[in-house]
Amino acid sequence: MAQDAAGTVGARVSPQVDSLIRAAQAGDQDAFEQLVRTYDQSVLRLAMNLLRSPEDARDVYQEAFLRVYRNLHAFRFDCSFHTWLYRIVTNICLDQLRKRQVRKEESPTIETREGPIDRMDTFQEESAHADPERSLWNRQLKQRIETALQDLTPRERMVFELRHYQGLRLRNIGEMLGTTEEAAKNCLFRATQKMRAVLGDFT
Amino acid sequence: MTCDSILKLIPLYYYGELTPDEEERVEEHTHGCPTCTRELAQQRALAAALDKRQIAPAPMLLEDCRSDLIAAIQGGAPRIAPAAKGAWRLFLDAMAASFSGPSLSGLARLRQPIGALALLAIGFFGARLINTAAPSSTDDVYSTVRSVQPDNAGGVAISLDETRRKVVKGHMNDGNIQRLLLAAAHEDNPAVRVESVDLLRSQSGSSEVRDTLLNVLSQDTNPGVRLKALEGLKPLAADSEVRKTLRRVLLADDNAAVRVLVIDLLVANRDDNMVGMMQGLVQQENNDSVRRKLEKALRDMNASPGRF
Repeated sequence: MAQDAAGTVGARVSPQVDSLIRAAQAGDQDAFEQLVRTYDQSVLRLAMNLLRSPEDARDVYQEAFLRVYRNLHAFRFDCSFHTWLYRIVTNICLDQLRKRQVRKEESPTIETREGPIDRMDTFQEESAHADPERSLWNRQLKQRIETALQDLTPRERMVFELRHYQGLRLRNIGEMLGTTEEAAKNCLFRATQKMRAVLGDFT
Repeated sequence: MTCDSILKLIPLYYYGELTPDEEERVEEHTHGCPTCTRELAQQRALAAALDKRQIAPAPMLLEDCRSDLIAAIQGGAPRIAPAAKGAWRLFLDAMAASFSGPSLSGLARLRQPIGALALLAIGFFGARLINTAAPSSTDDVYSTVRSVQPDNAGGVAISLDETRRKVVKGHMNDGNIQRLLLAAAHEDNPAVRVESVDLLRSQSGSSEVRDTLLNVLSQDTNPGVRLKALEGLKPLAADSEVRKTLRRVLLADDNAAVRVLVIDLLVANRDDNMVGMMQGLVQQENNDSVRRKLEKALRDMNASPGRF
């Protein structure tokens, strides 16, 4: 459960971020860039983990921060900047996930002679396993996890990603997705149930 | 507490999302219940397996994203000046460069990035307008125009979308409504662009509207929108700036219907500069109806089609 600087900031607007926003709103380009740098790692990580494609993550990054740039003047400090930013980011990511569900073409796994593998494995260093049996088991587990994640609705996927990987609180997640804490709880519950069902005793 | 009710709480327990009371109940129960203890262990194992799946974006990717963003902002989104002019000037420069030779594909290549620049800039400009807009609007967040709806009483309803949607209502002669329409003429959705450009036609007397129509005609990727802009420019066919653009569009537009309509507009106000250009074009034109149109226009002007 990762909790990074930006995630922690999410609970309140720190004075530094506050003044960066005000400067950026007044047209200070450097302040805007600094503001972006405060949050963009977690945004890119979210997009990358949800979409499993560097190209798509790059598109999300660009679109999200351009929207921030265009609409920053409308930010009124009535929620944390992190929440406001994540409303934009999660909207864009959900759109992408929904499009994929309709198209069903952009699978996060690619077919190989040894069976389907996660697209991202081609970008990651495979840790060297001396034990081939363990390596096979790991590959099968990964495959099951991919199937399990694909079974989630975009919203369940998003809530799970934000809670498990980004370490955000469900109340905050509800706020970002325009829903209640209770609905976010139900979403997380359904997501874990579905994954448990697919993974069975594998884990 | 029954196992059933505890099982439902286990995922939330794991994520620390229970109230202290609920948390205590789960702990008490699992202490004496092997089934629920196993369930909790499974939840932990699931989470651990999922942890391994997490990927960190490559530092290079982050750097690329940052420089893309800065380039997009510095290149395309002036924060104060209305962008239409900037993009227009950029376009004219590019046109001048691409028409020094016989290449006709210059415009098609240019249209996309310049269109994107204009979109970005107008989006920003449009967003700023909402803040000061007097017509009935309470919400000030927006990023996309979803629809433009004229009514029979000369009014118009524009619906904008971000995380929330709202409708701004007002009359066509309201300055803010006009500016929203100008911004909507550059929206992503071609249906919105067609509707906005269609509404702007009635206001083509304003120089801002004229510039937008010229912009749309030169840059919009959708021929339907370009045709609408052309219709709007009809009453201005004698204007020298408009004629200059029409000539450029005739040379560069890849859509035959657009080229035919441009010829109509150009010949409606005869000028001798056109004859040479049209004679040249007749030689290159691949589309039969456009070529016939050019030949007829030349005959009407008592000029030879030039190829005999």
